[in-house]
Amino acid sequence: MTGTDIAVTGLGLVTPAGIGTAASWAGVRAGRPAAAADPALDGQLVTISCRVPGWDADALLGARRAHRLDRFTQFALVAAAEALADAGLDPATWDGARVGVVLGCADGGPGTVEQQHRVLVEHSPRHVSPLLLPMQLPNMLAGQTAMEFGATGPNLVVATACASGTTAIGTARDLLLLDRCDLVLTGGSEAMITPLVMAGFARMGTLSSRTDDPAAASRPFETDRDGFVAGEGAGVLVLERAADARARGARIRARVAGYGASADAHHLTSPHPEGAGLEAAVRAALADAGCRPSDVGHVNAHGTATRLNDLTEAKVVRRVLGDPLVASTKGVTGHLLGAAGAIEAAFTVLGLEEQVVPPTANLDVPDPDCGLKLTTTVTTARYDLALSNSLGFGGQNAVLALARA
Amino acid sequence: MFEQLKEILVNKLKVDPEQITLEATREDIELDSLAVVELSLVLENELGVAVSDDALLEAETVGDMLALIEQGSARV
Repeated sequence: MTGTDIAVTGLGLVTPAGIGTAASWAGVRAGRPAAAADPALDGQLVTISCRVPGWDADALLGARRAHRLDRFTQFALVAAAEALADAGLDPATWDGARVGVVLGCADGGPGTVEQQHRVLVEHSPRHVSPLLLPMQLPNMLAGQTAMEFGATGPNLVVATACASGTTAIGTARDLLLLDRCDLVLTGGSEAMITPLVMAGFARMGTLSSRTDDPAAASRPFETDRDGFVAGEGAGVLVLERAADARARGARIRARVAGYGASADAHHLTSPHPEGAGLEAAVRAALADAGCRPSDVGHVNAHGTATRLNDLTEAKVVRRVLGDPLVASTKGVTGHLLGAAGAIEAAFTVLGLEEQVVPPTANLDVPDPDCGLKLTTTVTTARYDLALSNSLGFGGQNAVLALARA
Repeated sequence: MFEQLKEILVNKLKVDPEQITLEATREDIELDSLAVVELSLVLENELGVAVSDDALLEAETVGDMLALIEQGSARV
């Protein structure tokens, strides 16, 4: 228990369910799966994905800026602008030295790397773009956000694979608790739907192969689940100390009450069979929030729809938390990898605000071995505390405890 | 040749066409060193004109760049 409340005062989303928080949340509430055939993956092992619909970087950012940004950075700048507007903040008037940026991604800009690698092989080193590195380096996510908004405080990108977005928010909260800054733009962004990355995921056996029925492919906690559908997009949250937020008259949408992190130290990609690492992270987040397991009313699960993730996560939820209402919004959005934790934290904030739990799409026959209390439609519920779980390849676990404002 | 350079600046480097005049400086059209190296690459790919990165980086204005490109194409 830290004694200092950290408030969420702004949300910005670019997801396969839509551009903007309203469109994204509407898609999630409706349980409308975003997965579709992806022409850019023609000839690949898996040919479906969850793309951001109608993405037009030139229109949203201007052609000049968009030209010098990899897709993962484009998503983040659009989400960050929305989050700042939502928080009622104007970068022209703030003390930028007190504004931090902590974002997460799993892979930086593989699309740019793959394209320029083709140039290298087909032409020559001299034909490689001077923008290759400034576009693809993972840290550019935070660096470009700083440039865009004049945020000159602490600035970093964290990488814990599919837990990156959650790790970023937890780290941002720590910076605020340590008084390293007064505001943090935090979350994650990812644009990994590229031929090479998708071939790698497919060869690992992690992707759903239900390519003949894309809308039904992402099936978290469902009996016939067979892997995740890759998604892309970004989620950005504005965090600040609650006392500061109140002083400036900001709307507090929810509080980041606690954070827990751990490592399995077990296997490259498989979670610990009993979920020991995830359990440690859940317990740490609860202790940090000063809450008991029975206080948790809802869990936004990692719920990727891989056989092992869902089974392990369900064991931990049942063992530690009992019987809370669980949802995996990945049934709608697919798996946004390093951005997943960020968009799911935003959905958890929205659920707390509206006192609802979103549905898990495609839940025809819930897996009895998971044994969770899942919702198939948006469900009204009274709860003050929710968890958002994330697990990354490499065994990294991160859990946020989010509380009603 | 000015029109060709302008077309490349607009279509490939996404410079605002309104800003492109012979007198415009690199700062005016927001071409940092990375963009100049990119321009050198595009000139070779699109026009077959070889202008070294270093020479192009010395050019202060669009007019100076044009002179270098015209010299380069004369050698081709």
